[in-house]
Amino acid sequence: MQSNWLIEIMKRAQTGPFMKENEFDLLLAKRIKALVKQYGIQYDPNNLVPADDGLADRVFQAALDLFVDVGVYCQTTERCIRFSRDEVLALVAQARSEIVLGTGKDAVVMRHRGVEDPQRAVMHSGPTGTPCTERYHPLILLSCAQEPLVDCLGAGSVSTYFGAKILPGSPLEILGSRRDAGVAREAVRMAGRPGMHINDVAVSLTCAGKMAALDPAAGLRPSDGFLVSQMVELKTDFDQLSRVAALYNYGGVIVDLMTPLIGGVGGAAPGTAVVSVADHLLGVVLYDADYHMFSLTHLHYVNNTDPLGIWVQAVVGQALARNTPIVALNDIYVVSGPGTKELLYECAVGAIVGTVCGFNMQGAGTTGGFRADHTTGLEARFIAEVSRASLSLSRADAAGWAQALLPRYQETLTNPNRGKPFPEVYDVETVQPKEEWLAMYHAVKDELAGLGLKFGNP
Amino acid sequence: MSIPESIRERLSQALIEGDADAAEAAALEALQADLDPLAVISEVMIPALTEVGNQFQCGDIFLPELMMAGEAAERVSKHLEAAIAAQGRTTTALGIVVMGTVQGDVHDIGKNIVATMLRAHGFKVVDLGRNVAPSKFLDAARANGADIVAMSTLMTTTRPQALNTLNLFREVGARDQYALIVGGGCVTETWANEAGFDGYSADAAGAVELCKKLVNKN
Repeated sequence: MQSNWLIEIMKRAQTGPFMKENEFDLLLAKRIKALVKQYGIQYDPNNLVPADDGLADRVFQAALDLFVDVGVYCQTTERCIRFSRDEVLALVAQARSEIVLGTGKDAVVMRHRGVEDPQRAVMHSGPTGTPCTERYHPLILLSCAQEPLVDCLGAGSVSTYFGAKILPGSPLEILGSRRDAGVAREAVRMAGRPGMHINDVAVSLTCAGKMAALDPAAGLRPSDGFLVSQMVELKTDFDQLSRVAALYNYGGVIVDLMTPLIGGVGGAAPGTAVVSVADHLLGVVLYDADYHMFSLTHLHYVNNTDPLGIWVQAVVGQALARNTPIVALNDIYVVSGPGTKELLYECAVGAIVGTVCGFNMQGAGTTGGFRADHTTGLEARFIAEVSRASLSLSRADAAGWAQALLPRYQETLTNPNRGKPFPEVYDVETVQPKEEWLAMYHAVKDELAGLGLKFGNP
Repeated sequence: MSIPESIRERLSQALIEGDADAAEAAALEALQADLDPLAVISEVMIPALTEVGNQFQCGDIFLPELMMAGEAAERVSKHLEAAIAAQGRTTTALGIVVMGTVQGDVHDIGKNIVATMLRAHGFKVVDLGRNVAPSKFLDAARANGADIVAMSTLMTTTRPQALNTLNLFREVGARDQYALIVGGGCVTETWANEAGFDGYSADAAGAVELCKKLVNKN
């Protein structure tokens, strides 16, 4: 990012066209609909992982048109921040294609991945901002950090501080944020991986709270990062832009979090794909993000493993892989919880499709975020293993896997099996999975191997 | 005078398809034909928008269609309500709902969907937006003569603000004047009941049914 670029963004945020937010939403919805039609973008329920480069490129062009036409809505000023096509293309061309995450022997290089790319995906564990209790959050983080195939640590959202409720923007948010940064730092140290990248401290909802986590000694180091969020769809505010400024100056990793909704302003799958790619452009142009966390969820189910979600991930991944150099990370969100086979099937679909279509991996966001402490390190291990086993697969193979696995959990999308909380599936003394959960993991892994997935790729 | 089938069909179809121009034209035609604007609202507009809401809830349509139907309804309402006022009559909403996302929470898409669905079912909605302080809920409830105060909260870290708002209504002696309800990703029925809310819903369709039940009680 040029040093004066934030000054320019602030100028545009204050002088761009004024618009009420509902008018922006309507403009966006109508423009997306028109672009989907103009570019002939169609969802095919019989092929959830299209091997169609032309489709991927049309989705990118539609997203570029959308981003240039409507811009980004600044909720603070109620104005649209707009950019010319040349500006957007120049910034996309300059975007980072790889980033070193973490330090020392625990550092990994997360790279831009291509379609059907043989290089392995970097693995970020959960929790993915899902709710955790004060008691079990440290153990959940440790269960993730100690997994050998996990490269980077996620964060849970803890809503209390010594039992007191944390309110956003309050002193307890500052204390909770500093505590959770310390808990994450301790988790990677206890796992024997003190330099592992930590990708967020999720308790804080304000810039002040996030900044409180920055502490080279006991919190987030410059080799860590935190999320700079977009509000759905294509919206930002001064609090988020302030996070960019803070991380930029601190030297920390800027993580662009977008949470597009299947069935939201983008509408059905084609429009959601278009706006999702446009969201990534926002992350490049406004946030100068080091990597982009694509946290797609269905408006009704809060997951991305239903047929529409699988198709959107497949198409968005390919559109970004073919038309940008950016480092993209797919956040696998599932409706099921630990201690269920459905969770593992959902994770397998996300890992296969995401890996083949150009993403790095994150997961899992379990139970759609509806249950506290329903997350463990074992599903992160499973995602990493399935991802590695998918490196030699084609898009047609991935489509076949999606069709094969969907029937194993599809009925539970509307009637989810939320599973069990951490202390019921992990031994809280040894921080190892209990026999029942481990046996389920082995059974599903054996089942996938029996169907032809070749585990054991380096 | 009964509503001619051609106008009924065109207005209904335009509302369902979210075609604001066509809906407005049909509404103006209805008024030029001296049709009763209240009858147009109750016999055409509300059933059409209820149908849109049902389609959204079933997943047959998505948010853009719901938004566009809402826009079409707004355009139609302006003309019909002006005609009703010109006749010296008033529209009767099912009830008045003051709603917003609680303080500290900027996630408002769920709240917006509920607002659209409530309007579609004939409620007057006073939408306070997001990040709404407890006192703003109270002031708006008083200023608008609300029947229901509806709070939305997505995050576990913002959920306590729903409780703080409820407590403010208690402290100023206004608790029994309004039905206070809550919803959002982090809220469960158990939590809402234990906190003392008058109702909870997991989705927009449930919120509409809840509000209908509550205004009938009042």
